[in-house]
Amino acid sequence: MLQVIRSRRSGGAPRPQRTHSSLRRLGAAQGGGLWVALILLSLYFSWSTGSFFTQSNLLVVLEQVSVVGIVAVPGAMLLVSGNLDLSVGSVAGLSAAMFGEFDKIFGWPMLLSFIGALAVGAAWGTMNGYLVSYLGFSPVIVTLGGYAGAAGLAQTITSDSTRSGFGSLFGQLGNGTLAGIPVPGVIFIVIFLAGTFFWYEARTGRHLIAIGANKEAARALGVATRRLPFVIYILSGTAAALGGLIVTSQLDGASVQIGVGLELQVLTAILLGGVAFTGGRGSLWGTLAGILFIGVLNDGLILINVGPYVADLAVGAALVVAAALDVLYQRLERVPVPETAEATALETDWTAGGEPVAAQRLAGPPDPEASREAGA
Amino acid sequence: MTEPRRGAGRRALEVTDITKRYGPVVALRGVSLALDYGEVLGLVGDNGAGKSTLISIISGVARADTGEIRVDGRLWAEAGARTTRQAGIETVFQNLALVPTLSIAENMYLGRELYGPGRMATAVRRIDKRRMRREVEEAFDRLGLNMPAVTSKAGSLSGGQRQAVAVARAVLWGSRVVIMDEPAAALGVQQTEAVLGLITKLRLEGIATLLVSHNMDHVLKVADRVAVLRLGRKVADLDTRERPVTGLDLVGLITGAVPGTPGPS
Repeated sequence: MLQVIRSRRSGGAPRPQRTHSSLRRLGAAQGGGLWVALILLSLYFSWSTGSFFTQSNLLVVLEQVSVVGIVAVPGAMLLVSGNLDLSVGSVAGLSAAMFGEFDKIFGWPMLLSFIGALAVGAAWGTMNGYLVSYLGFSPVIVTLGGYAGAAGLAQTITSDSTRSGFGSLFGQLGNGTLAGIPVPGVIFIVIFLAGTFFWYEARTGRHLIAIGANKEAARALGVATRRLPFVIYILSGTAAALGGLIVTSQLDGASVQIGVGLELQVLTAILLGGVAFTGGRGSLWGTLAGILFIGVLNDGLILINVGPYVADLAVGAALVVAAALDVLYQRLERVPVPETAEATALETDWTAGGEPVAAQRLAGPPDPEASREAGA
Repeated sequence: MTEPRRGAGRRALEVTDITKRYGPVVALRGVSLALDYGEVLGLVGDNGAGKSTLISIISGVARADTGEIRVDGRLWAEAGARTTRQAGIETVFQNLALVPTLSIAENMYLGRELYGPGRMATAVRRIDKRRMRREVEEAFDRLGLNMPAVTSKAGSLSGGQRQAVAVARAVLWGSRVVIMDEPAAALGVQQTEAVLGLITKLRLEGIATLLVSHNMDHVLKVADRVAVLRLGRKVADLDTRERPVTGLDLVGLITGAVPGTPGPS
């Protein structure tokens, strides 16, 4: 037994897994492939316009992707866990419209109106999350209902009118800069970095992936399969409201129309970034690549003076290419482990060694005795 | 020989009068089971007899309509998958409960990640990925499991390797009771021997094991007692140490050819 372990350690023949994992990594790197595509695209625009890699243009790209990016962070978390929020565009519009109502009709102070508008988004997210996570409704149906419902509600409340004139302080949210960086860009960067912490450095990311890939297993292992997506729905609604407020600030106009199409832009960025539509697979870094890819494409095509419709066409084409790569990846993943002698040895060789199992336990919480005492 | 960690003969797990309905279907009708430390209880029955339901209830995944569960003699009220695992009850589910898109190490620690290193990281609930990987590697080495790199995705493993991960996870975490639902279903001869060997080892260490299997040979090879479920009722509870039990006896009870009587406990 020891000898087997030692021979594995000392190398010898290359392990069959090795070649596969590199193949697989190539496929898994849809996010990675997208980063390469992003760099090539940027180089192309730089070559053809000469003005792509200027500080001002890059800041324009950052500012333009920030609203989609802010909403895409919780959006990617939802999608990877097998959930979906199609209501973000309408919720952004509703929150923006409510901000206008709070500020202009109710006469609330600006800050209170701002918080109130965020609360509207959070409340809508809470409703989405409750219906999906706790009552088991389909995410597509619930949030598609929200897509229509939130817009309809906003139009009813505001009589479809646009309010404006919110003052210079509120204008800073969308138009101001912080250390030379547009405020929306700063907010996006902060939210994205917080997202990477929860995705990669906390248990949230792996729990969301587990829920998306195998919900029953996740539940059986004690993952909060209801509470976790519920919380992310609330964050998604809040992020949508924040996005709506940023656009309101940029335009100095609160209207229901503000979030139109946001849900599709967000979903496109997330899917392009390699999050599986069915959940269970994907990365936040890949999502960032998806967000930036769309931003660079839109920006560059404007720089080389082709119409906005071409940009839409290009984004659509990129999404289909990404989907094709995804299928390829799935194929790669299904490649069986080759039946080499080593593979067989790996598989059969797991008889228990000499030590008592009690001495072999994994380190870490929970101490059953302690938890019993606490539970009793 | 290892000294049992807890006095053999002490109750590890006791379920009393469990009833469970799914709509009009009664899956379990007043089933009681008892399991001592250092004992292996085989649980057999035909499809639909209620085995899986009973396991779901004991492992906290499902809730019983009536009845009670005692762990280590104390009433286990706060049933739930997480609290049950915290009580030292581990289950190898028939579907293995692995997440294919997560790595071996991530699967081993899913739902009970370690925080750290350091107090700061623990305070902000940063997980200690490196330590978890190392712990799993070391545990595999100690158990003599020769596995691919612990960063390999569970989805890339062969059936036997997945089974190994699921069994190892239960054995390494389960300090009181290990429940195995068809643990050898996907395994070859050699690996099956290894699993049965692990069960014997667990018994020697005073861990209570509940083994569910369709394979009478496997059950009779390692079980101290065999409980038979039929149509949601326990029809027999045979002690193989008192009287030898044959596969034929069990098949008779399972199919109803032999009318059973609820045995001890």
